[in-house]
Amino acid sequence: MTQEILLKNCTVYDPMNRIEGEVTDICVRDGKIVESVSTDAQVIDVRRRAVLPGGVDIHSHIIGSKINSARSMCPEDHRRAVVPKTPTTRSGVGEAVPSSFVIGQLYTAMGYTTVVDPAVPPMKALACWEEIPDVPVIDILMLPLFSNNMITYHYIEGQDMEGLRGYIDWLLRATGGFGVKVVNPGGTYAWAHNLNAEHLDQTIPEWDLTPNQILTSLVRAVEELRLPHPVHLHPNNLGRVGNIETTIAQLEAVRRARRTSKRKHILHLTHISFDSIASVDEGSTRWEDVASGGLELAEYTNQHDHFTVDLGQITFGPAMTMTADGPFQYLLHRVSHTKWMNITVDVELPGGAGVVPYSYSPKSLANSVQWMIALEYALNIDDPWRCVITTDSPNAGPFVRYPLVISWLMSRRERETWLETLNSRSLSRSTLSGAEREWSLYEIAIATRAAPARILGIDERKGHLGAGADADIAVLDHMPSDSSLSDHPEEIVRVFHSTYLTMKAGTVVHRNDVVNPSGVRRRVFSVQPTLPEATRKRIHNEVGQLIDRWYVHSHTNYPVPRRYRQALESPIPLRPAT
Amino acid sequence: MRVADDVVCPFCGCLCDDLRVTIDDNDVITRVDNACALGKTKMLHRMDDRLLVPEVRRDGKLERTTLEEAIDTAAQLLAESRRPLIYGLSSTENDAHRAVYRLAEMIGAVVDNTSSVCHGPSILGRQESGEPLASLGEVRNRAQLVIYWGANPLQAHPRHVRRFVRIPGEYIRDPRTERRMWVVDVRRSATARIADRFIKVEPGSDLEVIEALRALIKGRTLDVSEVGGVPIDELAEAAEELRSVEYGVLFYGLGLTQSRGRYRNIDAAIRLVRDLNRFGKWGMMPMRGHYNVTGANETSTWTTGFPFAVDYSRGYPRYQPGEYTAVDMLRHGEADLLLNIAADPAAHFPRDTVRRMRDIPIINIDPKRNLTSLMATVNIPAAMAGVECDGAASRMDELPLYLRKLVDPPEGVLPDRDIVRLIIERIEGAVDER
Ligand code: SF4
Ligand SMILES: [Zn+2]
Repeated sequence: MTQEILLKNCTVYDPMNRIEGEVTDICVRDGKIVESVSTDAQVIDVRRRAVLPGGVDIHSHIIGSKINSARSMCPEDHRRAVVPKTPTTRSGVGEAVPSSFVIGQLYTAMGYTTVVDPAVPPMKALACWEEIPDVPVIDILMLPLFSNNMITYHYIEGQDMEGLRGYIDWLLRATGGFGVKVVNPGGTYAWAHNLNAEHLDQTIPEWDLTPNQILTSLVRAVEELRLPHPVHLHPNNLGRVGNIETTIAQLEAVRRARRTSKRKHILHLTHISFDSIASVDEGSTRWEDVASGGLELAEYTNQHDHFTVDLGQITFGPAMTMTADGPFQYLLHRVSHTKWMNITVDVELPGGAGVVPYSYSPKSLANSVQWMIALEYALNIDDPWRCVITTDSPNAGPFVRYPLVISWLMSRRERETWLETLNSRSLSRSTLSGAEREWSLYEIAIATRAAPARILGIDERKGHLGAGADADIAVLDHMPSDSSLSDHPEEIVRVFHSTYLTMKAGTVVHRNDVVNPSGVRRRVFSVQPTLPEATRKRIHNEVGQLIDRWYVHSHTNYPVPRRYRQALESPIPLRPAT
Repeated sequence: MRVADDVVCPFCGCLCDDLRVTIDDNDVITRVDNACALGKTKMLHRMDDRLLVPEVRRDGKLERTTLEEAIDTAAQLLAESRRPLIYGLSSTENDAHRAVYRLAEMIGAVVDNTSSVCHGPSILGRQESGEPLASLGEVRNRAQLVIYWGANPLQAHPRHVRRFVRIPGEYIRDPRTERRMWVVDVRRSATARIADRFIKVEPGSDLEVIEALRALIKGRTLDVSEVGGVPIDELAEAAEELRSVEYGVLFYGLGLTQSRGRYRNIDAAIRLVRDLNRFGKWGMMPMRGHYNVTGANETSTWTTGFPFAVDYSRGYPRYQPGEYTAVDMLRHGEADLLLNIAADPAAHFPRDTVRRMRDIPIINIDPKRNLTSLMATVNIPAAMAGVECDGAASRMDELPLYLRKLVDPPEGVLPDRDIVRLIIERIEGAVDER
């Protein structure tokens, strides 16, 4: 049966189609946006409210062993926020690390319809697929970890680029993953020896490899495979004072490798709040000397266009740090004296991921400066299409704080109110207090919808409202003709916290503050690279042997079975060859 | 005849996935290679002591009945119950758990798994201090020192030592010379007899011994001649060796979690491992018993936020070990009904608790006859996950593995998840009728 909906009187913000504030109607048929619908269509008049594509979160930890370990380690987090069952939704708990049903419901209420989990330990992918049906409504993409993995190293060290491409192909197919995540290349591996990899050209234990070699080889392989999304990078030395130098050196290393690719952006640098920490005293790594590197990174961004970023904006209050960066997590545990979980994952993450609860306070000099980094960056870049709003949820705060982040970007007045609460010594460590720029609603639509969809390479169906797109639509309870959001920051928070209406794949999933996931069509997007059959055969055999040599479970039990995938998985086409 | 390779063994937390199972043309498992005696027995004798037909108790006697009537009776008992308790889960696959939480939420039940009587204290220790978790692959590839504390794997996890410890790994070429194995226990167990070092502690003194080791590792001297029955010189020597290890792992069992001190033991052990991380790389791992008790904690956690002992009576999950744990719910006379699924509480709970079970209706879902089925008001036979139906489970190091269906279940016998779904549908139907 065809299902048609006519959304009438939409004030549309659809940057991919260059529509800014035009009042039109949107037609929906069978889950897709179409040019027109018949007179039988159900009519919903949204009375000139602002209408945006469904939100696309490019980096948020929502499934798998890290968040689940955090949940089980931190019952105190859940007592602060309980969510009773309703006639349409399941119950749950959690503030910084909500339970699975609650995550899907909160995203739905906020008008987000697509979320990337950016750090899946590949051999635990099955648990992610099991959990996904319990995260309602949203479409999901997973980025498996590749950078501290012995099989990856085996191919890079052997200078076997075909082998590396073959392994990426094998692993993405085995896990249903979407792209390649790189976390502290070499450093997490070295953590198996209680070491880290602080220098990009140092050799790591047991292998004749450096962090730079690992990163640039993976970038090359991903470009050669024409994956929709470039390498997604969490750089080395994360969370350390002065690491802006490392980050820029890593960006430079990738830039030099660029000639191998036709694509403009060949790297996505994630959560810059943690990667762009400068110091007032050059070379100092003391937190006393911390300064914002946001401006420096913005200037570099304006000069070089080979990468995109997401903010990982710090928010104040309880958070939960979780990364596949074992040494960073241990360091944080040592300075914050809180509980610490290290999760070793066989040969894929010998040093391990980590989880440490953390609360950001404006009283702290370090946290205040960290808060300013990403804002300073965002207010100084020329091109919002290369910048995505995130909080690296829950690392810099849970995703439910996006409305606050948006209010800081859109309203200078709101920024000033928050700046007053900061540790006063922090103000001179950043140029933020002088920044006058205010992001428009159109720019917010870019940085939360159009840009992330394009950076992920899913922009044919996500991040816009043109014909052919998935009918994922967020109607904000805001009439742009009546008032300007930047003058009413409390309005910004209200309208982005809970939509007037959210539609997902043509189904109304949120309206009148009621989330209703029933009957909604959902997907997990994966990729299927193309490789010569001979290569695939060779790699298939080799990887099987390596798994049986290094792992303590059989390679035949590694891939996630079809049973878990068939109802959900949908491959995204590769980028066209140019 | 068929042969299935790389089959996962659904018996203990090792989840060995290298079994070769031979099945004849009548769907009989005739041969199981690579498994230990425990795993072999489970598969080869799957038809022994089976519950094959649903039963309902009438006038004190269990009588055979249809599945439909058993489901009806179960649904009715659950609907009438004011404080239902659902317990078990550790010997079934994850989709059964997911169905159970839906049922628990729907009727406002308390839902608990068997970790409340085994590694519950480990979880409380983790909630206090976090935990540096090891993985079995890295143990085999790197560990120079492996300690079993309060665990006797030769008996409870028979292939653990052979698969992960006394075997070469990528960076441990000769396990006899490059890897040492210690056992700390109150008695010289079978595992202790093959260990490179056995530290015999007095019952109930694990905590003192751990704290003494922590002090010695930090370079303090202790002015005593022994701690917990262990001569101080022996402890000092052990501490010295611990400090020199580059990669070590501590496996701990019920001897640590269920002895005096309980979660404080685990908390101290976690701190010990944390301290050791200043000298080398150290991880730890609970020796989980039932093959999917780890999975039960995981599914409970992603659904409710909490790993066990969850109360849904207010319409959202609440967590209180010591209160919503099955033994306490029964002992305090709080539960007025028990739905047991894939466990045998009558065999494993303290005697006073089992006595309490006699006062309330019990709905029992399990493949086998056991002590609980003898007490039950309703018995519903279930398929054996990993043999007669598929699903997923988690190894003791949290590696998820897919369990295959090898043979059909006995006629008319359904997987746990389908039985629970039928009960849910029956209760929902009754609500609609009203
Ligand atoms: S050790 Fe455990 S999992 Fe392995 S075969 Fe024996 S019972 Fe099965
Ligand atoms: Zn992240």
